[in-house]
Amino acid sequence: MDRIDGEEGNFEVSVIQHPRYVDMDKCIACGLCAEKCPKKVPDEYDEGLVKRKAVYVQYDQAVPLKYAIDAEHCIYLTKGKCRACEKFCPADAINFNDAAKKIAVNVGAVIVAPGGETYDPGTSDTFEYKKYPNIVTSIEFERILSASGPFGGHLVRPLDKKEPKKIAWVQCVGSRDENHCGNGYCSSVCCTYAVKEAMLAKEHSGGDLDTAIFYIDIRTNGKDFEQYYNRAKDEFNVRFIKSKIISAPLVKETGKHLISYVSESGKRINEEFDMVVLSVGLKATKESAELAQKIGIDLDKYGYAVTHSFEPVCTSKPGIYVCGAFQAPKDIPSSVIDASAAAGMAASKLSKARWSMTKTKDIPKEQDVRGQSPRIGVFVCCCGTNIAGVVDVPAVVEYAKGLPGVVYVEQNMFSCSQDTQDKIAQSIKEQRLNRAVVAACTPKTHEPLFQETLINAGINKYLFEMANIRNQCSWVHKDAPELATQKAMDMVEMAVAKAKLLEPLSDPVFEVKHAALVIGGGVAGMEAAKNLAEQGFHSYLVEKTDSLGGQARHLFQTWRGEPIQKYVSGLIETVSANKNIDIFFNASVKEVEGFVGNFKTTISHNSGQNSGQNSGQTEKTSTLEHGVTIIAAGAAEFESKQYLYGKDPRVLTGLDLQQRLTDNDSGLTRLNSAVFVQCVGSRIPERPYCSKLCCTQSITSALALKTRKPEMDVFVLYRDMRPYGLREDVYRKARVAGVVFIRFNPENEFTVETDDAGLLCVTFTDSVLSHQMRINPDLLVLASAVVPEKENPLAQMYKIPQSADGFFMEAHVKLQPVDCATSGVFICGLAHAPKPVDESITQAHAAAARAATVLAMENIKGEGIISRIDPRFCSGCLGCINVCPYGAISFDSEKKVVEVNPALCKGCGACAAACPSEAPILMGFTNHQLYAQINSALTA
Amino acid sequence: MQTEEFTPKIIAFMCNWCAYGAADLAGVSRMQYPPNIRPVRVMCSATVSPHHILRAFQSGADGVLVGG
Repeated sequence: MDRIDGEEGNFEVSVIQHPRYVDMDKCIACGLCAEKCPKKVPDEYDEGLVKRKAVYVQYDQAVPLKYAIDAEHCIYLTKGKCRACEKFCPADAINFNDAAKKIAVNVGAVIVAPGGETYDPGTSDTFEYKKYPNIVTSIEFERILSASGPFGGHLVRPLDKKEPKKIAWVQCVGSRDENHCGNGYCSSVCCTYAVKEAMLAKEHSGGDLDTAIFYIDIRTNGKDFEQYYNRAKDEFNVRFIKSKIISAPLVKETGKHLISYVSESGKRINEEFDMVVLSVGLKATKESAELAQKIGIDLDKYGYAVTHSFEPVCTSKPGIYVCGAFQAPKDIPSSVIDASAAAGMAASKLSKARWSMTKTKDIPKEQDVRGQSPRIGVFVCCCGTNIAGVVDVPAVVEYAKGLPGVVYVEQNMFSCSQDTQDKIAQSIKEQRLNRAVVAACTPKTHEPLFQETLINAGINKYLFEMANIRNQCSWVHKDAPELATQKAMDMVEMAVAKAKLLEPLSDPVFEVKHAALVIGGGVAGMEAAKNLAEQGFHSYLVEKTDSLGGQARHLFQTWRGEPIQKYVSGLIETVSANKNIDIFFNASVKEVEGFVGNFKTTISHNSGQNSGQNSGQTEKTSTLEHGVTIIAAGAAEFESKQYLYGKDPRVLTGLDLQQRLTDNDSGLTRLNSAVFVQCVGSRIPERPYCSKLCCTQSITSALALKTRKPEMDVFVLYRDMRPYGLREDVYRKARVAGVVFIRFNPENEFTVETDDAGLLCVTFTDSVLSHQMRINPDLLVLASAVVPEKENPLAQMYKIPQSADGFFMEAHVKLQPVDCATSGVFICGLAHAPKPVDESITQAHAAAARAATVLAMENIKGEGIISRIDPRFCSGCLGCINVCPYGAISFDSEKKVVEVNPALCKGCGACAAACPSEAPILMGFTNHQLYAQINSALTA
Repeated sequence: MQTEEFTPKIIAFMCNWCAYGAADLAGVSRMQYPPNIRPVRVMCSATVSPHHILRAFQSGADGVLVGG
């Protein structure tokens, strides 16, 4: 980005596109340029462990798969001579005259996502990382483990390529460290990735590998991460050693690295390791600081974009939003949630502009080819030399001419180029073709392109088949050209055999009900409804109690010190007053039917619509029609039956204390001492997960007590302190303020009693001293677990699974963190996983943004490739219903046959395989078509 | 007596979302493997029934691979 002018709603942005020197339209990614390029450059993707060329693709899976010239290293661009790539490129794609382009865009909102980078341990090299190749960063280790990495996934030491027997991970390199790098924060991601790397390393090496992770606190506070950590300890025997390591000198005699530490029992131990992995932290980049300056947004002392807990993706400048690791160090799921939230925030301000720049494409009328005998055209691609260099393409062309149903065969140099596309469309028309087969690369990338060509020629896009003679033939059999040619012929024959049987299909279209049902009136539910309302969509907000606010009504302050009650009451007011939001109190979901775009949910409630208050009337039933559902059903705080909770008024939960702080309870200043106990109800066998928010909550409460009465003795008894990310700052602040943090051993006895004098008596074992200790506090605070509703009926009704812990499961942890497996159902807040209020808000906006992708559509287009049931063969055995993972099949009790709901079917074909009488037909992949492919594959 | 080296004919049913994509990536990475395999793309390995596997053997396949 070059410069930005204007304000929210109307920014003029000037962007510089740097020259690539490769024409993306012409490049076919054959890789010949890189093969011929004489200039070797350290490969950034492989962390410099191997070399790439000056013309390159960043990595194998890069999208788009197109080459680029690295101008900094290209011999021609730096010294004026070479141009080898240009000479050898078969597609004439190299363009040394390419120049930087200025692009001006007029936009209403800007989202900044420049990311971060890892800390370079060479900066203050206490480990002598630069000197010793067997000391690697965690990112280098990732590449070493990767099958596409420098050693083909074989776990070896970089120095001598020997298999290591012992590997150590050192945590917090460049994190939680103000002395060496000034990065006082926790990088949030390193504990979990170190656990993962240790487990993967063990899997790679086959069991006899010894792995040790040296840590300060293990912070596996993400969803299901604690269980992962437990598996590493208990099943994989990864050793976890609490010790801060600052050096790992080489032992000359053995070639290994020495790590000295103090064991739990207080003994000094020297251990040698074959490899040392430095778990490097995350940091903001110099480039993002420059970007922030150009845009005019504020950065914190670490260089992260300043945000507010209640508007977590809004920067200091209106209309400019932030997501990902530039907001704070965070992992992939959080970054993806941020991204959707930023899009949702932007959309809430830009709803008026929706569809205003959309263009509609003219599509020629589709010819009806049903009843016609097949006239198949086969288009065989040379892909330059990619296919033709191995496969005898003219021989394949000749072979194709003789196949039944084929009336026309063409050989093309590059089938995907625009001129060839036009030529194919022309041939389809001239030769009156009604089926097309393209023998070229993979349908995974190119099927949509050729289908578009068919549509332009007036042919149904499903009358098309590809033979993948590049990725799955010429590229993988380059030393056996004859056999590869034979295989290519067979593949074309298989495709033709299938094409003969293809039928035109139509993509089903469904109407969308433009309203959302939001279940749960806590912060997450309210924020989601508010965002949708701002985007112009109607919401039904269903709350099970008689008031809005959820758990947040008890909260005092965020870790940044922002008062939560002021925010919550403001939010309740906004939501209650919004005409786009209907609120139902004392409400519960009774019945659900329908699918994405068309849900019908019946609820019982006892309040009038949008009354904003409990009218106390008798129970009513309402049936709501809505296109999407957002589950924000929340969770509760664990109520301990131990530790005198509920029996002694001096024993409180974390939320009880927050409530007292909110109420400004004067009794708190009369206390002389307080003890917080962490992990009450969490990280135990019956509830193995970490509740994530309690460490930070106890720290903020402890600080609040200290602020009220600095001479109060405040102790926090913990297992691992987990104030992740920037929250580390408030942990440090608490220690400076004199809060005493004591690590206790959960294995040993932990008791709370009242003694004869009536004093509270907390007894525990200090982990460091290995001594039993006793404190007599005036106040005991149990930092209690976040507990979801197990066997929540919503799970059954919306067909969304709950984890063993009772949290709703997302469709994909990283790729779809707020989507449920059922289309059109989204999730946010505590019902998904324990999280602090800022993350609930982000997730709520993310869920709203995802929901809006459905609500913004007039219609939803389904896929043509779905199952249909041939009722003549269905015996009503229900076998298919049992195997359908999407609940798309139902039994018609009158006709005694099953039916597929085309809106729910995802076209997996499990029903077709399960049915003993072949009644389900997976369109586009019918049994007849598959049999034809099988037969023709084996005739030769 | 002369014996020819046995090269089995293998039919590979590959899930569009994983195994088929993996086979494509093997190509992009230029990994080499013997050419006596004939891929059949399916939308999910769950759609491969015993019928398909038996049909492959009946038609003369020596081996069947289901990748998913």
